[in-house]
Amino acid sequence: MTIKALQAVSVGRNGVGAFVLQCKKMDFHYCDWAGSSRGMNGFIKSLLPKFAAAHPQVEFTVSPRPSKHPVIIGHYINGREKAVCVRNMEPYEILKKAELLRDASGEKLRRTAKPVQSINESVRGIWSPYHGNGMRV
Amino acid sequence: MKRLRVDRWTGQLLLARPGACSASTPRAALRPAAAARCAAVRNQSTRAMPEIPTDEDYADGTDHTRFPPLEKLPPRATSLPSPPPERALQSAKLAAMHARLSLPEKLPLQTLARALVDNSADENPLFNNTNLAFVGQSLIHYHVAEWLMCRYPRLPMEILYAAMKGYAGPAALHQVARSWGLEHAAAPGGEVDPGLLQFSLHRPGSAIATLGYKRAEAEGLQKYKWRHGISSRVVFDDDFGQVVETDKAAQLRRADTEYGNEYTRSLAERAYANCARAVVGAIYAHAGREPAKAFVRSHVLSRALDLSALFSFKKPTRELALLCAREDFEFPIARLLSETGRLSRTPVFVVGIFSGKDKLGEAAGPNLELARNKAAMNALKSWYLYSPGEHVRVPSDTLADDAQPWAPAYIDMGEIIGR
Repeated sequence: MTIKALQAVSVGRNGVGAFVLQCKKMDFHYCDWAGSSRGMNGFIKSLLPKFAAAHPQVEFTVSPRPSKHPVIIGHYINGREKAVCVRNMEPYEILKKAELLRDASGEKLRRTAKPVQSINESVRGIWSPYHGNGMRV
Repeated sequence: MKRLRVDRWTGQLLLARPGACSASTPRAALRPAAAARCAAVRNQSTRAMPEIPTDEDYADGTDHTRFPPLEKLPPRATSLPSPPPERALQSAKLAAMHARLSLPEKLPLQTLARALVDNSADENPLFNNTNLAFVGQSLIHYHVAEWLMCRYPRLPMEILYAAMKGYAGPAALHQVARSWGLEHAAAPGGEVDPGLLQFSLHRPGSAIATLGYKRAEAEGLQKYKWRHGISSRVVFDDDFGQVVETDKAAQLRRADTEYGNEYTRSLAERAYANCARAVVGAIYAHAGREPAKAFVRSHVLSRALDLSALFSFKKPTRELALLCAREDFEFPIARLLSETGRLSRTPVFVVGIFSGKDKLGEAAGPNLELARNKAAMNALKSWYLYSPGEHVRVPSDTLADDAQPWAPAYIDMGEIIGR
């Protein structure tokens, strides 16, 4: 009778139904000549094929960047990107950095003060001074 | 001096220097040797090196000697409105998206690529996603509607429509497709990566033919805002209770305006939503009913929508009185439960609405009238948002092979009709 509907759009919660890895693309840049890329070149030869095969949901590109330090760039679903310079690193250190970029959400790093963040409303409700027996002062 | 071993060189070094071969040199004469070298070198190189195409492959007049293509395109690819299906197997973006959504193995990349071509990019229904999107739209609407019916059996029709639109409307499905990491190409074409969503802002395309009915008075409804009640909306309009928009001429007039206005954004939103629907349709076509249902559950129904925020009441106390009369409850009475600061700047009154000894609702407000209205609204919401449980069975659950027989779901007699 008197009810009118207001329009709202549902809000996505990644991981509640389906989980979508937030890192969608990783770029690996190396230099053939410079010494700071030695570890990166070894990583690309030895570890990257296995890493890429283990993560089919991420698009991998490898491209030279002559006369520059080697860098890994992760592209995320929220449109942001993160770049990590991996100069003079060993292949396994670079693997750690690649895993860090894979696991990142793409958001800016923030200090989380509370252990749980949720859009669900509190089960216990908000405390009210007008209910209960009150407090004797 | 050591002999130079050409076959050890990487592929990049063998690329012709830009502009090295003059325009007067017939390129066909140079090609056989170059092609043979490329073929020998390719297994050594880290990057697949494209062959320089012949002129008859490309009709767009690009100088491919100066600007070599990144990949070998099939003949006449650039003149096509959308990428040819065989290119889907070479797209890294497409394969990554297939894996990211955990799509079934049975769904081939070619079909996924087709789901990314909007009908504004390619009008041929054999190559765009219209058919898949229609199937997907029907499935999404069916699963959302049956879930809402069983989960919240007392929702009024207006709220049911709003909830349907909140879960399965174009805005929500646009967000779903965005959350998959889908990107769109700047302009559609045969040379575009098949892993990008393709739609055109200059041709509006046609909306998916829905089961809605074209009202004879549709223009009057839009122009003069004629009243159309909920009963006619159930019969005539689309699944969200909205008038089916069929005025293509008006769309064409509004298309091709400047970039980035409200209308172009709505076109992009529609293209993304159609793509999400088409992916559901593709899963249904290749993998069957249950995977499609699981996909809708996990990507559409798992999203959060606060249904209690959709209600907007005009006369809540009157409606609550009618409800109590219909259900043979005692007449609702508002009682002041507690108050503070009546004479201050910020008084608070807590009002409860009682039917006999049962408290139907309660709310706090800065004056007595508002607190009573809010309490009535809370009482009505708790009636309308009744749910038999979080994990209710829906009719499509009985379609599984080892399903229990269907136990009738709770059906409410309907919302309160006032006079």
